[in-house]
Amino acid sequence: MALSDNAIVGYAETKIVPRSEVDVWELAAEVLDGILEATGFAHDEIDGLILSSSQTGAGNNFWSQTVADQLALELNFCQTVDIGGCSPVGAVARACAAIDAGLAENVLCLFADTAVAENNGRPRSYGAEWTSPFGYLGAPAAFGMLSRYYDDKFGLDFRALGKLAVAQREHALRNPNACEKLRKPITVDDYVNSRMINDPIRLLDCVMPCDGASGVLVTGRKAAEKRGLARCAVPVGYGERTNVGAQRAIVDPTVTGHRIAGERAFAQAGMKPGEIGSFHPYDDFIIAIMMQLEMLGFCKHGEGAAYIHETDFLFSGDLPLNTGGGQISAGQCGLAGGGTNLVEAVRQLFGEGGERQVKNTANALVTGIGGIPYGRNWNTSTVLILTPNA
Amino acid sequence: MTQLNDMLDIERPLPPARSFSAPFWEATREKRLVIQYDRVAGAYQFYPRPTSIHTGRRGNLEWREVSGLGQVFSYTIVRRARPPFRDREPYIVAMVTLDEGVNVMSNIIRCTEEELAQGLRVKPYWHPLSDGRHLLLFEPDR
Repeated sequence: MALSDNAIVGYAETKIVPRSEVDVWELAAEVLDGILEATGFAHDEIDGLILSSSQTGAGNNFWSQTVADQLALELNFCQTVDIGGCSPVGAVARACAAIDAGLAENVLCLFADTAVAENNGRPRSYGAEWTSPFGYLGAPAAFGMLSRYYDDKFGLDFRALGKLAVAQREHALRNPNACEKLRKPITVDDYVNSRMINDPIRLLDCVMPCDGASGVLVTGRKAAEKRGLARCAVPVGYGERTNVGAQRAIVDPTVTGHRIAGERAFAQAGMKPGEIGSFHPYDDFIIAIMMQLEMLGFCKHGEGAAYIHETDFLFSGDLPLNTGGGQISAGQCGLAGGGTNLVEAVRQLFGEGGERQVKNTANALVTGIGGIPYGRNWNTSTVLILTPNA
Repeated sequence: MTQLNDMLDIERPLPPARSFSAPFWEATREKRLVIQYDRVAGAYQFYPRPTSIHTGRRGNLEWREVSGLGQVFSYTIVRRARPPFRDREPYIVAMVTLDEGVNVMSNIIRCTEEELAQGLRVKPYWHPLSDGRHLLLFEPDR
């Protein structure tokens, strides 16, 4: 049994909205409905459920069971993954592990959060004691310090970063599920001139908190073939790393867990960065995309800007980037947001990208970023490489 | 010269002390900085943890008093904040590397935007909290 003995056979997502008018369980039901419709699976065939973290679900110690009950799922395997923005990609790997272990056959990975409308999160971390008394407001300040460190070490090229922001925005214009507020074209100048939030982090570096849900259905590859499901996305490589530098007092924040997670995923897949057909990195801040390009080996550490200048990231280009707009241009669905780029990667491999369909559907690479530690970069990095059923 | 705000006149949120970080907070009552040191690894750590980050062994840890002198590792200028820091922007949040080799998050006060840079030498400034403890801030060591 192996990771690649499994397959994603269906996906669904809701429209991303600035504030949900409907309950988080209704969004979850919408995703279940969409997946049953798309795959032909019966409701009672789903025997595994893995949920992502959810700010709305936070505080409910019985979150996965509660969602299962609302959706009337009778299960052999039921859990929540709580590695923040890495949870959706991490859920796929865990679904494969559960199927390989014989714990379940058909696992629904469901990512639903209405963090804007109903945030029940009360994080217990280092924050109240070691950061809040200084007016540190979490992610934007963390990325401000990280960006400043990168600038001192390598120099920051804001026009290169702006190019990434513009490419993603071009894709959101072609994605009807992206948040409407964000479906307006921007230029590199708009990016560079956008308001400073936490120097040098600007407004157009940041995600807009939104509400929404997405999900995928994972089953055994042979089982999928038996059902005649021709369209599959097979996970052929996965890596996950939490707390890079946990045992050192000072950590270079420009080095992330994606280096190790990426090496593992590429080795398992037997691929190299140059072979990647489309790139769907977790994007909470624009600089995180450049850092992942470096850590995953698309270019050398510190040379991201030069690589960006010479690469076309449009859906029609050399390395299509977050072809649904990414979270930055489609909206961040709270802690379920990692599902947005995952679903987009699967959609592209299924050839269902519509007016943003990429040419190279040989594979797609999706990543996750989760959690903000004290004065470093992020807690967890995940890397998932998918191929169509070959 | 672009002056940044020091926020010495606002009521800071009181940090909770945990069972294992209490010695740090107690020492701040006397404006003393104590941090954890792993005797076996020969290395310091910050923030205070329930065990050694270097060896995972609790028994290797002791508290040592240090000078609080250091230099700026990285920083950001906060221009959008929430209460009680709102309307006090812009101000500095920085990571400071103490001479003992640990990074500490804090504010740099009495510092202009022009002066602020990676490597800037800083010294402690103890800001009183309403309960008798002090908050460790830093100012340029000119």
